[in-house]
Amino acid sequence: MPDKSKPIIALTGATGFLGSHLMASLLTKGYSIIVFGRSAKNESLKERISRLLLWFGIDSCLDQVTCIDSDLSQDNLGISNGEYSRLCSVVGSVIHCASDTSFSESKREKVMAANINNLKGILEFSKNAHVNFFHYISTAYVAGTGGTYCKEILSSAKSFTNVYEESKAAAENIISLFCQKNSINLSIIRPSIVYGDSQSGRSLKFNALYFPIRSAQSIRDIYLNDIYNNGGKKAAKNGIYIDKDGYLFLPLKIYLPGEGDLNIIPVDYFVNATIKIIENCSRGGIYHLTNNFPTTMKIVAKYYEQLMKVRGVEIIYGPQPDNLLRNPAEELFDRFIEPYRPYLSDIRVFDRTNTCLATDNLNPPGFTYEIFKTCMEYAIEVNWGASIFA
Amino acid sequence: MSMQNNINKHKDIKTPYETARNCRHYAMCKIDFLGGGVCESGLEKHFVSYYPQGRMILYEALSENKISVTEKCVEIADSCNLCGKCDYQCYFLNEMRPTKVMEALKDHVETFIKNGGKVKPAKDDSLLTEIKQIVGENWATNDEAIAITYSHDLSPISEPKIPDYVVMPDTTEEIVSLVKLFNKNKTTYTIRGNGQNLLGFAVNEGAIIDLNRMKTIEFDEKNWLVKVGPGVTAFDLQKQAQKRGYRINAAEPAALLCANIMCSGIMSTFSTTYGINADNFINAEFVDHSGSLFNLNETSSPNLYSYKNLQHKDSPGICVSASIRLHPVTDDERGILVPFETLNNALDFIKDCSVRHIGLALGIVGAEYISTFLSPTKKMASEIKNIFVDKLNIPWLVVVIGDKYAIRSVSEMGFPFFDQNMFKSLYLGLPSLKTAQWLNLVKELSDDEPYSYLKVKSFAELFETALSPSPRLYSQEVDKELSPFFEKLFSRKEMTDLVWLNMYRIMSTRLGRKKPFLPALIYLPIDKDLITEFCDKFRLIAEKHHIDNDFGFITPIDNGKRCIFEYDFFYDYNDPEEIQRIRQVAMEANMLIDDYSVKTGTVKGHPYVLYQGFCRKENLLYS
Repeated sequence: MPDKSKPIIALTGATGFLGSHLMASLLTKGYSIIVFGRSAKNESLKERISRLLLWFGIDSCLDQVTCIDSDLSQDNLGISNGEYSRLCSVVGSVIHCASDTSFSESKREKVMAANINNLKGILEFSKNAHVNFFHYISTAYVAGTGGTYCKEILSSAKSFTNVYEESKAAAENIISLFCQKNSINLSIIRPSIVYGDSQSGRSLKFNALYFPIRSAQSIRDIYLNDIYNNGGKKAAKNGIYIDKDGYLFLPLKIYLPGEGDLNIIPVDYFVNATIKIIENCSRGGIYHLTNNFPTTMKIVAKYYEQLMKVRGVEIIYGPQPDNLLRNPAEELFDRFIEPYRPYLSDIRVFDRTNTCLATDNLNPPGFTYEIFKTCMEYAIEVNWGASIFA
Repeated sequence: MSMQNNINKHKDIKTPYETARNCRHYAMCKIDFLGGGVCESGLEKHFVSYYPQGRMILYEALSENKISVTEKCVEIADSCNLCGKCDYQCYFLNEMRPTKVMEALKDHVETFIKNGGKVKPAKDDSLLTEIKQIVGENWATNDEAIAITYSHDLSPISEPKIPDYVVMPDTTEEIVSLVKLFNKNKTTYTIRGNGQNLLGFAVNEGAIIDLNRMKTIEFDEKNWLVKVGPGVTAFDLQKQAQKRGYRINAAEPAALLCANIMCSGIMSTFSTTYGINADNFINAEFVDHSGSLFNLNETSSPNLYSYKNLQHKDSPGICVSASIRLHPVTDDERGILVPFETLNNALDFIKDCSVRHIGLALGIVGAEYISTFLSPTKKMASEIKNIFVDKLNIPWLVVVIGDKYAIRSVSEMGFPFFDQNMFKSLYLGLPSLKTAQWLNLVKELSDDEPYSYLKVKSFAELFETALSPSPRLYSQEVDKELSPFFEKLFSRKEMTDLVWLNMYRIMSTRLGRKKPFLPALIYLPIDKDLITEFCDKFRLIAEKHHIDNDFGFITPIDNGKRCIFEYDFFYDYNDPEEIQRIRQVAMEANMLIDDYSVKTGTVKGHPYVLYQGFCRKENLLYS
């Protein structure tokens, strides 16, 4: 049931991974939400939202959602003047979650347009609506590649791993200036890498942590098929075989630049911490939703081997030797993880002072085998997302 | 039950009648393109009537009571030994099994005779007697069972016409005598190669002169030419040329070279370097309309090297031989497929290659084409097309045939591609592609940089491991009883060799497997906006008339200054209403080409080239 005492929240990015989980949790807490979004693939925005709520098991909350077909790149968000004014008069705060998360340099223009150019419309709306709060979902990696200790302050980094980080850092600065100028409280929420729900394993998106696992699983399946259905000649040529315990021995040397961690948090922690920040902080601030006890790729590799009944994965820290001979699986896997490599052995440490205060010391769980298993089994069950809404 | 009721009852394509009336009339059953042999009675008797195509037409006509059982009809039915070779050929191309039509034809004739039916004897005819005096007793007939098999061509434009006589001369002298005889008797005569004309010019009343007995092939290697008679097919000549270490520029395999040059000029992906029209031959000999001989290398001969932008130009006569150019071949030639996300990018690429003289043969094809060519069945073609577009993000492919230097150049230009080995894996592993989970990952890799996975070292090996390609796997997709033949067929190296496939073009006929098609062919500059406009407008015309349509191919010619562009319209030629609509589409498409021709001064429509195929390409393209 909607709680009339809570401010009406305008949310962008509600059909995305973080936005949808946040929307679901806010609705169950009684918030009314105005979703700014777009229809896609012959499906209206309302149909998209209904589908998501059904997946979360809260389709009864649909009447707490107002779907507004809008375009963040247009003046007045592409909404008619009358509707725009009406929305300005009811919205109490804004959560800006919409983002282009591509890392690819070839998509720079698109990423910059989505993450920077599109700010104007939603910021102007916040000003016109005289909202009390603007909450911006950013990333911990606006810290850039320079330092090791990353404070909960605006980033002054000059170099970044990819265009996504760069655009989010620039966006934070633009939003901060705007909010300061227009006396809007601002919270900037910076999650590290987010995976599925730590309890149920459920997730709507299967990139980041999932991608290396999915890649390794695909390569495993190719060789299992070769061994079981085609005599295994190709596998044998590359030293791949089923060992005495029934495990697939698949040599996979993964080179990472140096010793470091993989900072991951589950989406349930992201949602709970974000809602605490939204509800508890009176004046705003910058918050790192990161893990004080990050995992490592060596641990993830061990988990992968255990779950997938595979042996032979080797994480090697340091530069790749010149003229290294690699098997086809290693060559392809290397290409698969390329965009994620900087995050797989990260030496950055994230300050969490503001976060601990705002969230009553709420911490993400450590990444255990049980969590890994739950999340990966769900991912496999839904064919890495392909069959969720099929 | 009457025959007509029988017809109405059997709408199923699997009935002999439906199979017969869906014969594509491509004459592919007349050439041994699979290496498994050709209908023996056809090779002996030469009339198309004794080939599976002819028997299909004959059975259709008998079923519809269009003709009676004649003496030749009995002979045609008897001469089929039900060897089943046509099943392999026709299934390979069109997924059809003509043997059951052959059986039905034999049954029909046997039953007719058993039930006391009177076989219609040949008519006495003084003209026929004179014709036979020229060509011999066996090589001319007015039997309606033979005549009916010459009543069709590939065209939806013309109505079928049953000729009075079908004549098969063997020499130029016989043709001269025939022309004089027909002139004297004021009898219309029409020349027929393998009936592949798209404008209805190979069917007529009067006499049909079928040139299929004139199959001489004389190589003059010192002068890099081969002189061919008018009955020589592109497939047979290419085979002979290849044996001697040469290549010819050839169109569809069943096309007769002389007829092909006469009608439109030879064009293929090799036209990129070998050219079109007069580039492809050195000389040609003709019998003119008065029965006199001339050849193109005489100053007094008609100037067939010229070009006039006129439709319905008269034929210059009967081409009785052509000296075709031979091209050298190197032992490092291979084929690659270069994928593109947009047609514009593909156009930039072929233009760049053509201007820089990279590659011997170049052609852009769409996902519809490539999936149709590679897939053994219609169903699979449709599934594979979706995988190409949705999973592999390959709506466009450029075929490049070249030597090792050309292929290296493409690599240095930075374009990822499927090399010959990967093509073979893709082709013979197509069934695995349908269920490959790893394709989703490949798609995500492409999001970052299109087709970057093709640049991953050892990807080809993993690709092969993943698809487990084999002739057996591929053959599992075809009818069970045919799969052993197909397994053996696809074990042959040439069947997966891009160079061979482009030289012999045996796959191109598969484009008509779903439905027969009418192509719009245009010569125009490689201008992205212009080509996009044509694609859009052709599509709109087709959609207006509810006609299936798709991009065909584009091949650059003359160093990238122009290209040949084909856009295809698909229709059901057993649906009279659809025939009307395709005629309307053809008319509007031609009007569109005419408009652009006037507007740009650089666009030339293919119908204008009819009977001007001997012209210099410069006269055609730039005048």
